[in-house]
Amino acid sequence: MSKGNILIIDDEDIVRISCKRALMPEGFEVKTAQNGIEGLKMIEEERFDIVLTDLKMPDIDGIEVLRLIKQRWADTVVIIITGYQTVDSAVKAIKLGAYDYIEKPFTPDGIVNVVHRALEDRKK
Amino acid sequence: MKIKVKKTFHSLTGKLILSIGILMIVGSAVFWYFLIYYEEREFIRNSEKYGHSLADVVRKSMRYGMLTSQPHPIKQAVEAIGSAEDVLGIRVFDCKGRVAYSSNKDEKGLVLDAAKSFCMNQYPRRAEIKEAPSYSDRQDKNGFKALNMLTPIYNEPACYTSSCHVHRKGDTILGIIESDISLSVMDKTTREHKIAMTIFVSGFIFAISVVLCKILWNTVSVPISILAKGMEEVSAGNLNYTVKIDTKDELGELAASFNAMTGDIRKAKNELVEWGSTLEKKVQEKTEAIRKAQAQLVHSEKLASLGRMAAGVAHEINSPLTGIVTFAHLLQKKFDAGTQEREDIDVIIDQANRCSNIIKGLLGFARASAADKTAVNINDILNSSLNIVRNKADFFNVKMVINYEEKLHYVKADTSQLQQVFLNMIMNAADAMDGKGTITITTKNTTENGRDFIEIEFRDTGSGITDKNLEKIFEPFFTTKPVGKGTGLGLAVSHGIIQEHGGNIFVKTKPGKGTSFFIKLPANKEVL
Repeated sequence: MSKGNILIIDDEDIVRISCKRALMPEGFEVKTAQNGIEGLKMIEEERFDIVLTDLKMPDIDGIEVLRLIKQRWADTVVIIITGYQTVDSAVKAIKLGAYDYIEKPFTPDGIVNVVHRALEDRKK
Repeated sequence: MKIKVKKTFHSLTGKLILSIGILMIVGSAVFWYFLIYYEEREFIRNSEKYGHSLADVVRKSMRYGMLTSQPHPIKQAVEAIGSAEDVLGIRVFDCKGRVAYSSNKDEKGLVLDAAKSFCMNQYPRRAEIKEAPSYSDRQDKNGFKALNMLTPIYNEPACYTSSCHVHRKGDTILGIIESDISLSVMDKTTREHKIAMTIFVSGFIFAISVVLCKILWNTVSVPISILAKGMEEVSAGNLNYTVKIDTKDELGELAASFNAMTGDIRKAKNELVEWGSTLEKKVQEKTEAIRKAQAQLVHSEKLASLGRMAAGVAHEINSPLTGIVTFAHLLQKKFDAGTQEREDIDVIIDQANRCSNIIKGLLGFARASAADKTAVNINDILNSSLNIVRNKADFFNVKMVINYEEKLHYVKADTSQLQQVFLNMIMNAADAMDGKGTITITTKNTTENGRDFIEIEFRDTGSGITDKNLEKIFEPFFTTKPVGKGTGLGLAVSHGIIQEHGGNIFVKTKPGKGTSFFIKLPANKEVL
């Protein structure tokens, strides 16, 4: 029994691998998608506890992904990963129900802590 | 001041005096001439009257002698009258022009053609003869005028009916009496009159001229000279000169107008001079302001493009950095502390973090141009910034002195950006002192060019900044810190943020003594 089902959406290969390598040893089930559309398709097929999505992607951006997920699966935790944070995007994301913001570059411990915290909060 | 009045005949007064003088002389001469003329006429009339009465006396004295045809009494009478004072001579002619009797005995028998023709031809009618005695302008021996008069002796009934029958009834004139009379008394009086009149007229002209001159001098010449002097002074540039004419006439009014005009010119000139002198200053000020505005614009544009670039770079670099950091950390866990491999991996992590910091610094530019401004209290932001650094190891030996203005104006600003700036200032101060010393933070309200500002000073007791470095401290990537410790972006971003807020950041430093960074931000007094 995994600790949680996690989807990572990022157009950068290295970020996906990094997340996977950071979270899998902690006992999470981790799947990855290359872009927003692919990620949304996967969510249609399978339930995820946590979705980590990049903000800036070629097809649809992280904010849009966040909005669509929250519309249909309100209990799914969405955490935004971003290359650079602006006040605008942060405010927008939090308003739309994002749990947190992770700035690149992050450490394995950093991302694991956020995920743990999110899951604990979700249980409450 | 002594006024020099023009004294030639070319001057106004000269011309006036000359023309008035000529008019006076001509007028007086005419007056004098007519006076003399009437005097002369009166003189002639009087002398004629005198002559007639004398001739009458002679005729009447002769009458008895003639009627009785006795020459002796006639001769006696003529001689007696002829010897009187002022009578130069008496001659009685018959109608043949022969002297019958004369006061001068030698002349008896002398023929005078003038008397003859006078008797025979010229006086056919009695009335005319009486009215027109002959007058000739002779002079006696003393040079006085003398009267020579021919008076006819008319025929009358007693003459042609007398027993002697010398004269016929048909004769009109029986003879001529010629009388020479000296007019010395009258002439003397007349001459005296003339002299008196001449003296009087000359004196009158002289007196009038003197009075007129004096009046013209005082009322025209002097004031005009004063005015001329005033104009000369004013045209030479002495605008403080005033013309002092206190009279109430036209010249006084002219002087008053002139003074008013000079005053206006002076005022205008002063304004012009003032304007001219301040113009350069104003142009300089405006040029400086334009230059500053342009520099600000260029700087803002630079910041914005740098921000855009930084955002792009950050996005591109942060993903590979994530990989490096993640895998380095994963590897780090596989080696125990103290092994060579562990140390190598730590270096990778440190350098990756350094890259990350540089990117974050660059992102400051992107954020500087996207501020979210609200009315804030700078003291509060300073306090929260101090809370962040207070527990850091770098600040264990740093003494913090707070010097806040309690009633500090509010400022419209982005809290997080200002916090970033203040943190940067405090960290730099601590670095400059190698972690030992005092940082004094002062806030106060100031006014500049009528506008309200708040001023924040960060003073350290550190090493100071050299002149050479002072020029570059706000340039991006300039740092004096050891490689890897500073990105050289802190002050550049701070500068950008403060400028974005309409403020100003500047430095005062003394190498070896310490540095003060001043930040000035425009106050927002609407919020209290």
